[in-house]
Amino acid sequence: MADLAHEAQQSRQTQPDVVIKVQNVSKIFHTPSQANLSALTDIELDIRPGEFVTVVGPSGCGKSTLLKLIAGFSPVSAGRILFQGDEVQGINTRVGYVPQESKLFPWLTVEENVGFGLSPKRFSKADRERQVDYFIKLAGLSGFEKYYPAQLSGGMGKRASIIRALAYEPPVILMDEPFGPLDAQTRMVLQDELLKIWEQKRQTIVFVTHDLVEAVALADRVVVMTHRPGKIKDVIKINMARPRDIFEIHRQEGFDDAYGRLWEIFRHELHIGRPSEHS
Amino acid sequence: MPTTTTSKSIFSRTITVTLIRSAIVVGFFLAWEFASGRWIEPFLISSPSRIFTSLFNGFYSGDLLQHTWVTFQEIAIGFPVGAIAGIGLGYSFGRSRLLAEIFEPIIIALNGIPRTALAPLFIVWLGIGLWSKVGVVFLLTFFLNFFNTYTGMRQMDHEYVDLAGLMGVKGWKLTFKVIFPAISPYVFTGIRTSIPFAVIGAIVGEFVAATEGVGFFIRMSAGIFKTADVFVGIIVLMIMVIIMDRIAEMVERRALRWQTQTEHIQIQA
Repeated sequence: MADLAHEAQQSRQTQPDVVIKVQNVSKIFHTPSQANLSALTDIELDIRPGEFVTVVGPSGCGKSTLLKLIAGFSPVSAGRILFQGDEVQGINTRVGYVPQESKLFPWLTVEENVGFGLSPKRFSKADRERQVDYFIKLAGLSGFEKYYPAQLSGGMGKRASIIRALAYEPPVILMDEPFGPLDAQTRMVLQDELLKIWEQKRQTIVFVTHDLVEAVALADRVVVMTHRPGKIKDVIKINMARPRDIFEIHRQEGFDDAYGRLWEIFRHELHIGRPSEHS
Repeated sequence: MPTTTTSKSIFSRTITVTLIRSAIVVGFFLAWEFASGRWIEPFLISSPSRIFTSLFNGFYSGDLLQHTWVTFQEIAIGFPVGAIAGIGLGYSFGRSRLLAEIFEPIIIALNGIPRTALAPLFIVWLGIGLWSKVGVVFLLTFFLNFFNTYTGMRQMDHEYVDLAGLMGVKGWKLTFKVIFPAISPYVFTGIRTSIPFAVIGAIVGEFVAATEGVGFFIRMSAGIFKTADVFVGIIVLMIMVIIMDRIAEMVERRALRWQTQTEHIQIQA
């Protein structure tokens, strides 16, 4: 851990404002049926520490693939990804990941799930308990510590999944359409809670979504991706004050402008190919 | 026609089912008892009363107990060792592509052998005592556990392993806190389906060559037309399988309680 921290510090000195640097990255999947499937092409992206970046694009544009590459779940086909200055090779233990489905470990209780990433090396038993307790309270899951994931509602499971990623305090959280399957009200409540947690912690968040309103409402910057082969079409800076009120986001100054610009880019995308496959 | 299922009709249905089932079982034994000695020679089918007497005498004299103890030992050694070896190899194949690529065709080819046909070989190799039967039990248990565990490893949602990896979880914690829980339904299926086969293995071994054991007892009794004792042996084996299965079921239910506890809570968000 000590040498990791040291390395991280060194890289911060050389690149003070970038936590994730995606350089010229392409990803090609080799499928048995089709020839090579190009999922991402020449992706260039810098993400700064503490930033809330949303990535938006049609289904099948490779936005989830980008997250998986940053997490190190699969290797890049070309280019490289630097994380705090180090090239990502293999599983990246410095990120937290919130998958589309909650993917809580179904055999562990809520508190065991949340504490699962808290290694005994970094957290004493007491620290671990305090940390788990803190996040469970933060997510409004008090009283459900001993419940198994199968006993939770969709929204509760989603909260538990998010705090599981936050609890071990990785500097970056990657979120892959985490609110996709939820109903509209639950979605808004969770977006609101996510922003509140983020205001306190200011971890870097990369948040993939296909919902333009969500993309604008949450982000400092919105990365717009085009259809396969996935490319970055534009990056929009969102000039809206924080803290934001998710429930009244449409009335907030700067929303219309940002949404308008995003839609202007996006409407051209909708004509290209029918969205069919999952991203 | 509209169907209304009240709790009363469910209750009376349960009673009806139980009554009819009991009537069939009791009727079967009565018919058996009645037919024996009247329509069919007793040495062919014996009779429930004779079987009960033999069972009692067998245990009373201690003979049957000794045979049961021998068979129990063969299973008590061969079954857990075979299960653990099969589960371990299935896990290793799931973890190592290289290992799987090298050995998978070999294992599948070996699986094509009717395994009970190997029992005489085991007698040649390991003698007519305990260890040849342990070998057959091991073999029958091993493959079923191996295939089920390996299937579990291939069906497993790999995202759990990836997520645990991000959290820095590896080594024994990854194996026992993530992978084994994830594949445990498959592992338990392997264990439970292999229980009757473990007993078959012991009996086949004893049929081929032995001086004691329930299989030996059955074969000897049949040889001298003590048909009641043949049935006694079969009953002992049946009870053995049932007890083992009940124990496995209890362990399974306890280990997989996260799966069965699905009482949902109705709370918004």
